[in-house]
Amino acid sequence: MTEPLIRFKHASLGYGRTPVLAGVDLEIPAQAFVGILGHNGSGKTTMLKTILGLIPCLKGQFVSRGQAAPRFGYVPQKERLDPIYPLSAYDVAALGAYRRLELFAKLRGRDNRPLIQRCLADCGAAGLAGKAYSDLSGGQKQRVLIARALATEPEILALDEPLAGIDITTQKALLKLLKEIKEQRRLTILMVSHRIQAERGLFTHIIWCDEGHALMGQTEEMLAHGKLGEIFRTEL
Amino acid sequence: MSQLVAMLKPDFLLHHALYGSVAMGFVCPLVGVYFLLRRLVFWGVALPQVSAAGIACAFMLQGLGLNILAGPESQEKHLAIIGSLVFTGLSILFLAVLERRGKGVSEGRIGSLYALAWAASILFVAWNAAGETEMLGLLKGEIVAISESDFHAMLNVFGLIAVTMFLFQREFLLVSYDRDMAVTLGRSVLVWDVLLYLVVGLTVSLGVMTVGPLVIFGFLVVPPMAALPWARGMTSFSVLASLCGGASALAGFYISYTCDLPLGPVVVCVACAFLILSWLAQAALGLRGRSAWAGYSGA
Repeated sequence: MTEPLIRFKHASLGYGRTPVLAGVDLEIPAQAFVGILGHNGSGKTTMLKTILGLIPCLKGQFVSRGQAAPRFGYVPQKERLDPIYPLSAYDVAALGAYRRLELFAKLRGRDNRPLIQRCLADCGAAGLAGKAYSDLSGGQKQRVLIARALATEPEILALDEPLAGIDITTQKALLKLLKEIKEQRRLTILMVSHRIQAERGLFTHIIWCDEGHALMGQTEEMLAHGKLGEIFRTEL
Repeated sequence: MSQLVAMLKPDFLLHHALYGSVAMGFVCPLVGVYFLLRRLVFWGVALPQVSAAGIACAFMLQGLGLNILAGPESQEKHLAIIGSLVFTGLSILFLAVLERRGKGVSEGRIGSLYALAWAASILFVAWNAAGETEMLGLLKGEIVAISESDFHAMLNVFGLIAVTMFLFQREFLLVSYDRDMAVTLGRSVLVWDVLLYLVVGLTVSLGVMTVGPLVIFGFLVVPPMAALPWARGMTSFSVLASLCGGASALAGFYISYTCDLPLGPVVVCVACAFLILSWLAQAALGLRGRSAWAGYSGA
């Protein structure tokens, strides 16, 4: 059996001294497509932020495979980015390649433009490169943010509610895109969502957050016989 | 026109004041763009006033016999710079810590700091009647009387600030635009924030000493506002804002010199004229917000 990419052992996750999730024990295998689900305020984003290293684990253990932390490609909720910045879609995607561009790298002739253009093209956003990011529609913004995340050349793609506020047709197109990206790049994908309709067929695993606890299992196992409802007294 | 050409020559009597004003006009907006983008415009009002209170405090301490720097009269300026830097630095630290915690009302804190700084400035002057004249001169900005050595020191510092802003533009943009992304990329948000705040503190302190709080606020905020609708990325935003600031300083100096008007208010009025022109041009071209991107290729 392969070593899990991320592992929580008896972990408490939260902000300051206040745990939002306690007694978290779970392992995320490499190349899984994991849906982190739950109602508003259930701790989904807290879990994602802990995995990304944005907030520390309050108690217990959080370990990632190997010595170095895995490379993350992060897709935040699109509303979090302030539209006042005069950035084009290309500029936003280019921020993802920042890791690769050391100080004075340009002077040494290194150029990230082919990488950024390829990531935009892979996300169907090549034609948006020159447009103002703030003028794009919700679906177009998500494509650019996914391209930005891919430009980090990640092992794990982490998405925070990527389908929120987007129409059904665009949601389906984005999910198709994520499926293609996963297959082509053999990534592990973590996706926070508060619903499980269109995404259901994509997830290999589900982490269900509710009432201060998190439970993980394979999708079919978690959804079988209303198990989630039985455990957490919650209907999906 | 011939008078403008004559002003630009090195033998112009006030060439230090002219070059210094223009340098400040070019450099301050480079810092000011981050005030605008981080939605910290009110910092631009409060910090120059805090810096002025620092200058007043330094003179008050000297008036009370606490000579921090003993020496010739020129040391007065160094004393003022120390007072300005200490007050500005502490205030930025205070505001930055509270901003990071994200609790309370940001505008309320800045407004309170502004009120306190104004009150403190007046009280420091009241306690030091002997130094009132020199201090009022410094608070208004003494660029017209700037010495050769101070002029060169000022140019060096502004040069350093401009180089820092362009060299680390990507880092400042990343930590300003998406802090979480910066962390996932392994960048220290704290380190880059501290560097940016240091540059802000240095710019404000030196600016207040040279042209006074009113002009420095004008340079920090108005040129970036005029430039933002026309910007096509961070570099063009910074360059446009800087050009607007430099042009305002040059035109303001010319009008002030030829019409015998006080320099600071004229420069601010010229910068505001650029802002109004920017708005009118947007309206005339039928542009809304930043939708003037047609034809631009960031790639």
